[in-house]
Amino acid sequence: MLASTQVETTLLALKIAFLVLLYLFIWRIVRSAARDLRLPQESMILGPQQAAAAGLIPVRQSRELGRLVVLASPALGEGDEIVLDTQSVTFGRGRTNDIPLAEDEYASTRHARVEPRRDGIWLEDIGSTNGTFVNGIRLTRERRLAPGDVVRIGETDLRFET
Amino acid sequence: MGARPLIALRPRNRELLYLLPVGILTGTGFASVYIARQSFVSWGSLGYALFFLALYVAAHFVARFAVPAADPYLLPMTGVLTAIGVTEIYRLGPDDAFKQGLWIVVGVGLFALALIGLRRDYRLLENYKYLFGIAAIGLLFLPRVPGLGTTVNGARLWVRVGPVQFQPGEFAKIFLIVFLAAYLREKRETLAQARLKDVGPLLLIWGGCMLTLVSSNDLGSALLYYGIFLSMLYVATARLSFVVVGIALFVAGGIGAYQKVPHVKERVTIWLHPWTTHTVYCPLTGTKTLRQDCQSYQLVKSLYSIANGHYGGTGLGKGTFNTTSGKPLIPYINTDFIYSALAQEIGLIGAAALLLVFMLFVARGMKVALQADDGFSKLLAAGLTFGFALQTFIIVGGVLRVIPLTGITLPFVSYGGSSVVANFVLLAGLLLVSHRANSQ
Repeated sequence: MLASTQVETTLLALKIAFLVLLYLFIWRIVRSAARDLRLPQESMILGPQQAAAAGLIPVRQSRELGRLVVLASPALGEGDEIVLDTQSVTFGRGRTNDIPLAEDEYASTRHARVEPRRDGIWLEDIGSTNGTFVNGIRLTRERRLAPGDVVRIGETDLRFET
Repeated sequence: MGARPLIALRPRNRELLYLLPVGILTGTGFASVYIARQSFVSWGSLGYALFFLALYVAAHFVARFAVPAADPYLLPMTGVLTAIGVTEIYRLGPDDAFKQGLWIVVGVGLFALALIGLRRDYRLLENYKYLFGIAAIGLLFLPRVPGLGTTVNGARLWVRVGPVQFQPGEFAKIFLIVFLAAYLREKRETLAQARLKDVGPLLLIWGGCMLTLVSSNDLGSALLYYGIFLSMLYVATARLSFVVVGIALFVAGGIGAYQKVPHVKERVTIWLHPWTTHTVYCPLTGTKTLRQDCQSYQLVKSLYSIANGHYGGTGLGKGTFNTTSGKPLIPYINTDFIYSALAQEIGLIGAAALLLVFMLFVARGMKVALQADDGFSKLLAAGLTFGFALQTFIIVGGVLRVIPLTGITLPFVSYGGSSVVANFVLLAGLLLVSHRANSQ
């Protein structure tokens, strides 16, 4: 048993400790959370390189898994090649895309994503207005690309080759 | 590339670090309650703190396995909220705290199941959207089934199966958000054109929810569902006109309900005029008394409780919650009114900190929604976060007399198994979206 003055002092100390700890916790979170708001847009998201650096994704040797050849496009040069390695590539009119299609008026800000997976290269529509087409058929779900497939994003036609 | 932070902790290590204060906070809080009650320090307080810490470290390891790249702050913040909640519930009634502890274990279990089960691709939920929509309505109707539902405090919200009582509405909320996220993603272009044909199914689902809720007298949830619905519609279509029309409809509906539904009218009267100087008719006793002794008794006593806390609070365990004869002053203090109990014991400073933690949780949730790059994930994260924020606002605003008081739980803090478990599922959803967005 503690004397009543001791009880009062202990309780006061505990009360202060509780509040100080709570604010310390909040302050730390605000500080480290504010940090990633100051960083440029790309690093707000832990990109593939940073993820690999952090050891989250096993580092694999960059190897070519296929390429997309530009057949016709208002934004890209005809005959240009987009080499696909282990990283996913996004297409769209917005500047934050890996392949920006600024001049393609039929492309959405974020249009489509080409994603290499264990079992091949997959194409996914990421919420476009006008749709993404493979060999003239509109994608309703993500689809694995086969060599020779022609992908249409807005008014840009690309042929997948391995 | 901008400057890199000097110490770059991996997200999960950062999470583990931030879990430490959760344990210390629980220990401090419980020690304070113990000393105030019995004048000696018991090892029990340390036991509770260690138990809490162990539970969250277990949740952390599940996250480490299933969602390594997810936001590191959400789980520690949940820990702090539940720790504060359990401490206060323990202080109000040790038996309830034990039950709440068990529910938190169940919640963490379901959290782990959700993370492990959906870690590869939670977006497969999109394929079952109508199932979720129908399940949400089914859950809302469940308390109406004779023999299953029970009425508590004028609202028919509970389902009793054997010894277990739960509120299906809490789970219906999450199912509805999943349904809305999937449905709105699919239809968002056509919805933006606002043709009746496409809006139809949405209005149907919404009308069904509203009808169930008004008929079960659960106004807080009705407001919550409506708010979630409007905010997700806005996120999906970016059309402010939907929000304006939606709020106008709500105001019209509110005025209608005020005139037709006695329950609503009473709530508004209590909100605007909790104190009277002359006696009014009291429907509870059938006699004439002052309103603060009858309908608004709960709210007025809760306001006195908050006022009694001043800036620094009385200290955990030292607040006044019983009359001199030992009867509890505020009914439902550990569910609807936990905020006023906390405001008394940790004061304005502590209550502000509590609200700050809620705000930070919402800010992180919104950031998850910003980072997510497919429509379904974005809508899911935004819906879950907005639901969480609105629920907090409805109950804290109600207790503080900013809006009419409607009974609803304070997420993670209030006593109540369904609420805690459902909110852990919500947390799992946010972490899954966050992980996917960050690992791309």
